[in-house]
Amino acid sequence: MTVAALPISPHPAVDGGLQLEVTNVSPQTDSIVSITLADPSFRKLPSYVPGSHLVVQYGEEGVNAYSLTGSGNAPSEYAISVLRVEDGAGGSRAMHRLAVGDRVYVSRPRSAFAPASTATHHLLVAAGIGITPVLSHARAAAERGTTSSLIYVYRPGSGAHVDEARELLGSALTECSNRDSFQEVLTEQLTKQGVGTHLYVCGPNAFMDSVLDQARAAGWAEARLHSEAFGAAELDEGEPFTVNLVRSGLTLDVPAGVSLLETLEKAGKTIPNMCRKGICGECVLPVLRGTPQHRDLYLTEQEKAGNTTMMCCVSRSEDPEMELDL
Amino acid sequence: MSSVSMPQVAGNGLEPGFRGVICASFGAAGDTAEQQSDSQPKLDLHFEAATPQTLSELRSVLGSSSVGVRLFLSGPTADIRAAAAVAAECGLHQEEMTLLSEEAAPRAIYCPHCHSTTPTFQPAGSEVPCQGCGTALVTTDHFSRRMGAYLGYAARVEEAS
Repeated sequence: MTVAALPISPHPAVDGGLQLEVTNVSPQTDSIVSITLADPSFRKLPSYVPGSHLVVQYGEEGVNAYSLTGSGNAPSEYAISVLRVEDGAGGSRAMHRLAVGDRVYVSRPRSAFAPASTATHHLLVAAGIGITPVLSHARAAAERGTTSSLIYVYRPGSGAHVDEARELLGSALTECSNRDSFQEVLTEQLTKQGVGTHLYVCGPNAFMDSVLDQARAAGWAEARLHSEAFGAAELDEGEPFTVNLVRSGLTLDVPAGVSLLETLEKAGKTIPNMCRKGICGECVLPVLRGTPQHRDLYLTEQEKAGNTTMMCCVSRSEDPEMELDL
Repeated sequence: MSSVSMPQVAGNGLEPGFRGVICASFGAAGDTAEQQSDSQPKLDLHFEAATPQTLSELRSVLGSSSVGVRLFLSGPTADIRAAAAVAAECGLHQEEMTLLSEEAAPRAIYCPHCHSTTPTFQPAGSEVPCQGCGTALVTTDHFSRRMGAYLGYAARVEEAS
């Protein structure tokens, strides 16, 4: 057993969070490992809303968000499952190096994919590692006595949590190993749900977009649709622009390939932020003048059209110049 | 949920993608819920009033329909609001319902003491005796979509205490 020293200081995203110890590491597949974290002195952990995620710090500066796979009800441990991404920023590889006894800084659980309290049935749709938050939903539904059904798409041999899903859902689980069989199941399921059903989808962005578009085409109101993004598409480097910080009286140039957030940080501004991928909504900034080029997944279409806020980690400016209330 | 006054007929309730419409009218509003749904299935229901029996009929119709359906309700405000509350309980979402209301009809006042509702033509701020428990209720503009009624509260309750 190796006991890794904790990083010198917690990252802002996990500040005020918890210091937990790795109590179990078990491989799910060749590239997915499940990691269990608990309080070193066996204290109870905060409960969480199903579908919540945990921000975990790796190294001195890195943080990643991982979905919690439990039901969230009075947990004594937190479980996450991590897919190793070879060409990522290094977070998943660091997670895969964790061993029992290691300590990590984590945030308190954050909810961004909550179940609808008025739903009479939960239709869950997952692709690949997208199973993690949806498993949390299925567990919570079972505990609370609501029904759920799951369509789970994974490549043969590389599905995580398959046995648990089978045990939990029985005949309410449909496993698909290819696009065609999934398409058939989805079309059928989207047209036969009772009026109180809500849809929850997690997987690659293109997968989620396709599922949500098909649901809309089948008459599903926006309020019934819930999705959890875990990977943002690569964005192009964008055009350079100038930003005026009205309250600070500063003018900064944002070059192509450098984000507004990085530019502000270099100028000494502290902007709350977490995912830096346009997903978490942490780095929202008020816009006074100019039209943001919205590239985030957080703001609603309505909020984007309002042009009064922007996510400075990924979004840029349509115009050569913009003004922020900063 | 869009709510339009009579005699206007909502034309914006059927966004693309819907799969079938249920039109329920109450009282004399017979024809006003007529919605053109082209090739989509359409079910017309007509009720005299929103009673426990008619609402349970609506509940069973909704219980056997699927996500994608839209609901149109027309008639006196108190009736269609009661029906909308039942539909919400069945899991229908606000944005999937369109209400066409006859505003000249009486308003339902909810009594928080005995949970019954009392119809009245009196404007907000007046007093009406509760049909259920006789409490003198002050009527308000505070509307509950869940109850399908305006909140009433016991008159002069501060003085009594």
